[in-house]
Amino acid sequence: MILSFVAQYQLDGIFQALADPTRRAVIGRLGAGPASVGELAAPFAMALPSFMKHIRALEGAGLIRTRKQGRVRTCALDPAPFAAASDWLADQRTQWTARTDRLACFVLHQQKDPP
Amino acid sequence: MTLPAFDPTRDLSIGRIIRAPRAAVWAAWTDPASFAQWWLPAPTRCEIVAFDPRPGGALHTRMSEDGGPFVPHMDACFLEVVECERIVFTDTLSAGWRPAAGGFMSAVISFADHPDGTDYRAHVLHKDAPDRQTHIDYGFDDGWGTVIEQLAALVEKRIS
Repeated sequence: MILSFVAQYQLDGIFQALADPTRRAVIGRLGAGPASVGELAAPFAMALPSFMKHIRALEGAGLIRTRKQGRVRTCALDPAPFAAASDWLADQRTQWTARTDRLACFVLHQQKDPP
Repeated sequence: MTLPAFDPTRDLSIGRIIRAPRAAVWAAWTDPASFAQWWLPAPTRCEIVAFDPRPGGALHTRMSEDGGPFVPHMDACFLEVVECERIVFTDTLSAGWRPAAGGFMSAVISFADHPDGTDYRAHVLHKDAPDRQTHIDYGFDDGWGTVIEQLAALVEKRIS
């Protein structure tokens, strides 16, 4: 239950961060391997500060990690959030199984100990 | 209506033989005070805001974790209630069939006699895989589900 709450919150952040064509393109590019902010910005007709806002949004959602070395900031995908999305159904199953166990337990207890 | 077919890509089916009469399992589900005792895992506490087991009736709960204030948990709507046989509810609607934001599932709860007690089953239908579900919540275009699948595939390939 609590796990799902966190996962749902995390998923919301992920999808919000990806609700933008520039950011989706950046993710697509990073799928081929890490790249510098300069390389990533090159295909887009926008000023670097604007482009950096997109990078920060992706980083804030945990979709990418960035590392600065000298004057170059390198970006790389973080696979964890994608795993969060695929774990979702498994998590739902865990919740419903536990819920069914609790119901069975509650009913059996009532049988033994009528109120 | 005919019960929905099970779709393994997005549904769940949880079954259990409960060693108690069907009426007892039914009561545990439909009596709000009983329901509140098993619906959420302890120590999380469940509070019933509204519980009206009939079509269009509310199934509205709040929860409290670690003794904190009660916060929204589920604001759902019963769709079908057949005494000792079946309960269908969804969180895509709230009471009175009003469309609800953020809902993602319908559940068909079945109760049947079994030599050892009650054959209890929960068939949970999800709107779609979560990517697609969130996609709908945010009103993204139809291509979005495909996009995220491709991204996920890309990332999985990348880390494997």
